[in-house]
Amino acid sequence: MAIEIPKSLDELPTTSPRFVGKDVKRIEDPKLVTGRTEFIDNLVLPEMLHCAVLRSPHPHAHVVNIDTSAAEQLPGVVAVLTGADVKRWANPVTTAPEGWGSYCMAVDKTRFVGEPVAAVAADSRYIAEDACELIDLEYELLPVVVDPRVAMEADSPCLFEEQQGNVMLHRTFNWDDVDEVFEEAEHVFTEKFRWNRVGANPTETFGCVCQWDVLEHSLTCHGAYQTPGFMALGRAGSLNLPSNKVNVISYPQGGGFGGKGGPRGTDIAALLSRKAGGRPVKYIEDRMEYLLAGGGQSWDRYYEASVAVQVNGTVTGFKVKLLDDQGAGAEGYGTISVAKPLAAFTGCYRIQAARYELDVVATNRAPSYPYRGYGPPPHNLVLESMMDIAARGLGLDAAEIRRRNYIQPEEFPYTIPSGNEYDSGNYEAALDKVMEMADYHGLREEQAAAREQGRLVGIGLVNTIEPGVFDWNAYASVGVQGVGVPEGVRVGIDILGQVTVRVGFNLQGQGQYTLAAQLLADYFGVEMESVRVVYADTDNAPPHFGPGGSRLGVAMTGAILGACRKIEEKFCQVAAVLMQVEPGQIELMDGHLRVKGTPEAQMPIAQVAGTMLARGDLLPPGLEPNAETTSVWTAADRTEPDEEGRCKSYLTAANACHLVLVEIDRDTGKTEILKYFIADDCGTRLNPATVEGMIQGGVAQGVGAALLEEYVYNEDGQPLVSTFMDYLIPTIHEVPMTEKAALVTPSPFTPLGAKGCGEGAIHATPAAVMCAINDALAPLGVRANETPGSPNRLWKLIQGAAAAAASATT
Amino acid sequence: MTAPHRVSVTVNGKTYEREVEPRMTLADFLRQELRLTGTHVGCEHGVCGACTILKDGSAVRACLMLAVQADGTSLTTIESLADGDRLHPIQQAFIEEHGLQCGFCTPGFLMTTLELLRNNPDPSDEEIKDALGGNLCRCTGYQSIIQSVRLAAGKMREGNAGASQQSA
Amino acid sequence: MLERLEDEDVDAKILAGGQSLMPMLSLRVARPEALIDLRKLSSLDYIREDNGKIAIGTMTSKSAAEDSDLIRTKQPLFHAATQRIGHRQIRNQGTVGGSFAHADPAAEYPAVALALDMEMTVVSANGHRVIPAADFFVTFLTTDIDSTEILTEVRMPKLPAACGWSFQELSRRDGDFALAGAAVTMSIESGKCANARVVAFGINATAVRLQSAEQAVNGEQPGEAIFALAGSKAAEAVDEPLSDVHASAAYRRHLVQVMVSRGLAEAAMRAGGKH
Repeated sequence: MAIEIPKSLDELPTTSPRFVGKDVKRIEDPKLVTGRTEFIDNLVLPEMLHCAVLRSPHPHAHVVNIDTSAAEQLPGVVAVLTGADVKRWANPVTTAPEGWGSYCMAVDKTRFVGEPVAAVAADSRYIAEDACELIDLEYELLPVVVDPRVAMEADSPCLFEEQQGNVMLHRTFNWDDVDEVFEEAEHVFTEKFRWNRVGANPTETFGCVCQWDVLEHSLTCHGAYQTPGFMALGRAGSLNLPSNKVNVISYPQGGGFGGKGGPRGTDIAALLSRKAGGRPVKYIEDRMEYLLAGGGQSWDRYYEASVAVQVNGTVTGFKVKLLDDQGAGAEGYGTISVAKPLAAFTGCYRIQAARYELDVVATNRAPSYPYRGYGPPPHNLVLESMMDIAARGLGLDAAEIRRRNYIQPEEFPYTIPSGNEYDSGNYEAALDKVMEMADYHGLREEQAAAREQGRLVGIGLVNTIEPGVFDWNAYASVGVQGVGVPEGVRVGIDILGQVTVRVGFNLQGQGQYTLAAQLLADYFGVEMESVRVVYADTDNAPPHFGPGGSRLGVAMTGAILGACRKIEEKFCQVAAVLMQVEPGQIELMDGHLRVKGTPEAQMPIAQVAGTMLARGDLLPPGLEPNAETTSVWTAADRTEPDEEGRCKSYLTAANACHLVLVEIDRDTGKTEILKYFIADDCGTRLNPATVEGMIQGGVAQGVGAALLEEYVYNEDGQPLVSTFMDYLIPTIHEVPMTEKAALVTPSPFTPLGAKGCGEGAIHATPAAVMCAINDALAPLGVRANETPGSPNRLWKLIQGAAAAAASATT
Repeated sequence: MTAPHRVSVTVNGKTYEREVEPRMTLADFLRQELRLTGTHVGCEHGVCGACTILKDGSAVRACLMLAVQADGTSLTTIESLADGDRLHPIQQAFIEEHGLQCGFCTPGFLMTTLELLRNNPDPSDEEIKDALGGNLCRCTGYQSIIQSVRLAAGKMREGNAGASQQSA
Repeated sequence: MLERLEDEDVDAKILAGGQSLMPMLSLRVARPEALIDLRKLSSLDYIREDNGKIAIGTMTSKSAAEDSDLIRTKQPLFHAATQRIGHRQIRNQGTVGGSFAHADPAAEYPAVALALDMEMTVVSANGHRVIPAADFFVTFLTTDIDSTEILTEVRMPKLPAACGWSFQELSRRDGDFALAGAAVTMSIESGKCANARVVAFGINATAVRLQSAEQAVNGEQPGEAIFALAGSKAAEAVDEPLSDVHASAAYRRHLVQVMVSRGLAEAAMRAGGKH
């Protein structure tokens, strides 16, 4: 019988939720604030060894010879792993598209600076690093290609010889009659953009402790894994193990944001363990390794975009040409970031026709990995910039052009040209709210006065759709298979009425364990303290994916509520027997099973649970004495993509409107963010404090991408950014304190009406800041089309404008 | 070259005597030798501040010191803040104001805040930012951290007022 | 300890606070065989007035210098520079002497040393000598300190009553290495700029005194135009600036103009309030 999952808070079996929808304190926090949470580097196992990795100094080279004899003889060294071992024992990882994966270690050739070429397991990390220095490698250098425009050419140096060239994917999507729309348009605006590489950089780098069982031919991996089941399956493939012989035990992570990496480090540690006769091997990636070659690089893009606009401001068409530099292979699934924009290609707007032309290319830079947002943040920068360019071209205000193009509330669910369906939204309400909070007209007056003084003050007003609850079908265009991302939990009530839930993922900062406790406490009418959330490793977990794609708030809620419903149904049957009524007359409310209409006739859940597990004689015939159940949730009505990639993929569409005031110092080019306002609508807020944290955290990362963060390679393929002195994470001084307003347009399709919100403001903030910068520069007639808008870049533009103005007057 | 040195370090009031390689960092010493794993390592080159502890009452980065440099000093780490299950006001404040998400940077922030509030019991937001400018957080975006420190300052002032009332 | 320094068979490096050395050890770019830890030399931990000057023992922590009333009131230029060095955690462990001996091009203290004509005392097994700032900073990470010498004291004059000062620094984030900066002192005499001292740092291998800028303002009435002109002269005078991922050579050269002109304006304003 189909389970009906509550679609709003008032469908929960409680008079009034005490926990869901409230800013409850997090159950994760006491251990975190006392430093007692066990992150992976805390783990010490008997006989454990420590791994250090020797990395390629060359961006493209054949590995001709390797001599590890001196390293092996260093006291304290137990095993040394080389490409020959890896070739014998492992496979290149599977990728999407297929055929662009590497082994965990360079086998015959190395394709990027930082790629592992050897690894050592020793008594300490210090000794292991000493040993790496004693390994001798001979390389035959190959020509290097770091510019994707060059890499696309037929005669370019080829990274993967089995492939013909470096183009992983070339594809054009046409949605509706784009050419006709652009022909008929009253105005067409075109612009180019360059988004430089940025990446996740959680405060904790990747780490693992792997132990190969040489007798059973199985593997146990303890580590900072965001998606344990997915990781286990991947290791089975790469290490030639049966899929039920890899146990991944995820540890609480010090942040992840998608870019924790892990496959290479895990495989190397696992194979070292194998070589060391099964001793556990710990590998803790250090920050330099993370920056060079970990999961830390994403979104290296060249864009050309056009909009077709009518005189009244209606945008009828949107074309995007994207050249994406994936670096030295697709092992990190960075390719997904070019597909995901399909889920919200045209943003908040009723644009009917669109084209997306893609070239995804390999170069001798580090392979690209996921990062929060996973593609839309640069895409949104382009879309919102084009809206501003069109507005300026037509003499319209930035708010006005958006207002004229919004999808209207009564049009939902709304299918966008690229095929995804938005569940609900009220974009004009968010715009009005943020304009009111900011006193938009007052800010424009402030700006006008500042401009009279020659100051470069700018306002950015942008929208975003934040697709939530991802599905694999969104990525079919890059070769990912499958539809549906199940997430399961196991909920049980014990003989004393205490509630336990087992989940397949560990902590990462988004407060899901707290949410789990909130839901169960409200559903079963218990205190949050009496709910226990337990992590189950892949040997024991229900089907799961874990956090990612802003899904868990919805998916885990769906799984938990599904389990609750099943337990409720069973408890109603038992209570009916005990109270001698029909099952249909029993309802659950505020932690009691009671006869409808006769609230005095009621029984606490604990009593029912106790009876069920201790008095089998009292149970209805055929009822299993089991107060525990597994429930697996997946989004309903997802579809297979058609030939233009159209499908119902991401289930929810949260939206936000950001308004930011900036000033650029004319003399130095340095940008200061003066004011920042956000109106955010992610449906029902299951824990408002958590949502605000996701938003503000996204703002910080967005500011980093817009102003500070950048991976730089020189033309020889050498990375110039390899420490935190050069990769600039925003500090407390650079991140603006934001004023936030919450709007709630529930989703009609999700548990409790919540929408995915975990990726947060990173979708909007880069666009907001860059649009503000360009608004500030507008009187000079120049545009900043490259991120980050660093002081040097902006100064060059300002100076160029001054020089042009000077020569114009001579 | 790597002949061990004897060090005697007092950590959270307890004195430890160990032999260490000169090149062992203080962060590794605390975590690996003393198994005090609340101090975290985020970058190992002195930028992120996750490893912040107090040395003779002053905040320092444990990754930028060698264990031998701590010989004869008195260190305070995150493990000293709570008294069994009684959390320190700063810890309580961070929980109440949601000043953490993944919690990896949190011990560094708490120790830096401890130094700040001992020296300046009523800091302005500017002073809070100046004190915390050397601690990176990738999760929170800092706004709730500033709120947490404000609340912590208030709690500690109240606590001190209560204590001085008691002794008066 | 000084005898150990003389031992040429051991590649030894002096360890003061370690805040510059430790990242280099961690990255394995510095590979000394031995470290000579000056930590226990409590005789080098002092801040005092000595013969009308301010003398600081090189093992004094930077935060002690930051908290010193003497330095804050009597030599605010040095104080302002101290506050800009990294973050408090770095200043708690880092020493005053360390920045002088390390001589990073983007460091604050070398610029102040040139602006104030500071004097550095070094000691060896054979005795001691005093090195004036103008001779002390040789090039990129290189000073005049010999491999057998230890820096023990730095001395600076107190800021004269009529003297204005300014410390300017531009960095990507607060506490980061400077992209460019300037240390400026000057007085106003009979309504005209006088005794200007202009030093830029973060531009190339060492901090550099910019006499062309000084000459441009001395004897002139203070004003935005004259300071801008002095800034331009300073920018023209510097050797080819460093170029890195944060700032091109051209941008750095431009920043000299900005830092110097702003420094002169602020110093003049401070001086103007005093006569």
